[in-house]
Amino acid sequence: MENTNIVRDAIYRATMLLDGQKWDQWLDLCDDDFKYEIKSWSPEINYDMTYLQLDRKGLASLVKLLPMHNTDHSPLTRHTTVYSVDVAEDGKTAKAVSSVVVYQTMLDGINSHIDSGESRLFLVGKYIDTMSIEDGKARFLNREVRLENRRLDKGSHWPI
Amino acid sequence: MNGSRYLSSERSSFIPQDTTGDAVTRAIVMQTVAGGQQQEDLVAAKNHAQWVANPPLPPNEWVDSKIYSDEGIFNEELEKIFKKVWIPVCHESELPNAYDFRTTTIAREPIVIVRGADNQIRAFLNVCPHRGMIVERRPAGSFLDGQPSGNPKRMTCMFHGWQYDMKGNCVFISREKEGYQDRLCKDDIGLRRLRCEVKFGGFVWVTLEDNPSVSLEDWAASAFSCLRKTLDAEPLEVFHYHKAIVNTNYKLWHDTNCEFYHDFMHYHNRVTGFNDAYFARKNEAFEHGHIIVGTFEVNYDKYEGFESRAELSFPHLPPNQWYMIDLFPGMNFNLRGSALRCDIVTPLGPNKVMIEFRGLGLKRDTPEERMTRINHHNSIWGPFGRNLHEDLIGVQGQGTTMLPGSEDRHILLGRHENQTIHDENGMRHYYSEWAKWMNRQASDPSKPYERPAAAAAE
Repeated sequence: MENTNIVRDAIYRATMLLDGQKWDQWLDLCDDDFKYEIKSWSPEINYDMTYLQLDRKGLASLVKLLPMHNTDHSPLTRHTTVYSVDVAEDGKTAKAVSSVVVYQTMLDGINSHIDSGESRLFLVGKYIDTMSIEDGKARFLNREVRLENRRLDKGSHWPI
Repeated sequence: MNGSRYLSSERSSFIPQDTTGDAVTRAIVMQTVAGGQQQEDLVAAKNHAQWVANPPLPPNEWVDSKIYSDEGIFNEELEKIFKKVWIPVCHESELPNAYDFRTTTIAREPIVIVRGADNQIRAFLNVCPHRGMIVERRPAGSFLDGQPSGNPKRMTCMFHGWQYDMKGNCVFISREKEGYQDRLCKDDIGLRRLRCEVKFGGFVWVTLEDNPSVSLEDWAASAFSCLRKTLDAEPLEVFHYHKAIVNTNYKLWHDTNCEFYHDFMHYHNRVTGFNDAYFARKNEAFEHGHIIVGTFEVNYDKYEGFESRAELSFPHLPPNQWYMIDLFPGMNFNLRGSALRCDIVTPLGPNKVMIEFRGLGLKRDTPEERMTRINHHNSIWGPFGRNLHEDLIGVQGQGTTMLPGSEDRHILLGRHENQTIHDENGMRHYYSEWAKWMNRQASDPSKPYERPAAAAAE
């Protein structure tokens, strides 16, 4: 049970760090070989799509360079609920499935005079995480963000 | 917590600088900034009369924003343009097997595309002739399976169980004799068939016009000439689909695909592109309002974390080339070396458009090749990629200032740079074609179209 709580705690901490745009601290929760994907099944083209696939180095480059880009700065708020944690028999790894709903609180995306301050449903999906457990700490080995959305409007530059 | 969340927003408001050491990029950015400051010192802001006055350019070098915001003009566009032209609605790889189907919409008319048992792809209005119910409600699937109201291998209207075969023939009317006796029978009924062809890399093209003014070949072949050998070399396959519904006019999206002057908005494009070969790219106009933007070699590895696409170039292309084909009235085919993107617009209102984004690779890709292509595609064009997000912010910002009922303004298309990449000849060509179809002048849509003086003199 303790390992389950450790995994759950790491997922919730990651959610808070992502919401706070504390990208470096979020990456500190991730293994050196961390793999990150945003995927979605498309019934339109009958294809399991990958919308983004990056390793830890790629994520670090992304968040470093994004300030050079024009972007929608409307902050994202993730509501995460950990549904299941399955710890391996040796207690060294775990798989976890969490529900995630992402709200976007408008800032400068469209017409800020009218829209800023309004929170809108942005994404619906799941986090499917693989974690390592060592010395009482859980680290992310793999995160698949499995989106239901295929209508994404302006999309986002930022990790979900 | 909230304070820190906005902190990164402030960081990104920095004037873009070249972190890669690319002197060309830095020089252009700094020149722009310096020029802007000089201009601010020299030119006063305008009062209302000055603001609404015609710009000191010929009328074909600006348009009235009413063409982006007027409900009447929008409805006219659906009737006069979208119901008349050839529209690519999907790709053949989305219907790989007999009885597969795909649904779409052109000019508010629902359409179903089916692959018949004879392997031929056909298109029909997705409307039951009985009571007007939409026949197929799903975005895609197979008619091989039976439905609660109908049999396998049939398109069935769930409402009253009328059934149609893959050629659009009505093959079953529930309690036909009891209700219609001999007054109406299956032979009197059928789906409305639409002209449909598979062409230019396996895209499925449909027109609502039974007698289109030109064949599909004549409509688009000249614009596709730069890529036809490549796109027709071997079967392609769709690997990416997502849609955006944004509050802007469909033409503003197409404008963004037609002009590259907005590359100043894209840090990625400045870093990987701004060199002599980039500025020499030609905008070439073709009959029917289409344009292409000529190719050059993109230096992808100038952007940290990105890589050359040379190993997975599409057939018959030199490495890392970038071609763009823009078809009137709003379709785009964009090939960046290893991945093809296609944008299809479905106008939903004067200030609302749905854009469907597809990414394609070669059907024969190995899983590893396909994943590389997908990553190349997504890095720039995905919904979480670097450029598409910026493009969509840009056109939605235009839509914000051109809401229906907002004051009409002049939108400038007057850049002349020897028909190279930052020339706006592509948009001028587009609006010249638009004016013909609409019988309206884009610079003053209350006036009928007039042939340009040069053309009239011929």
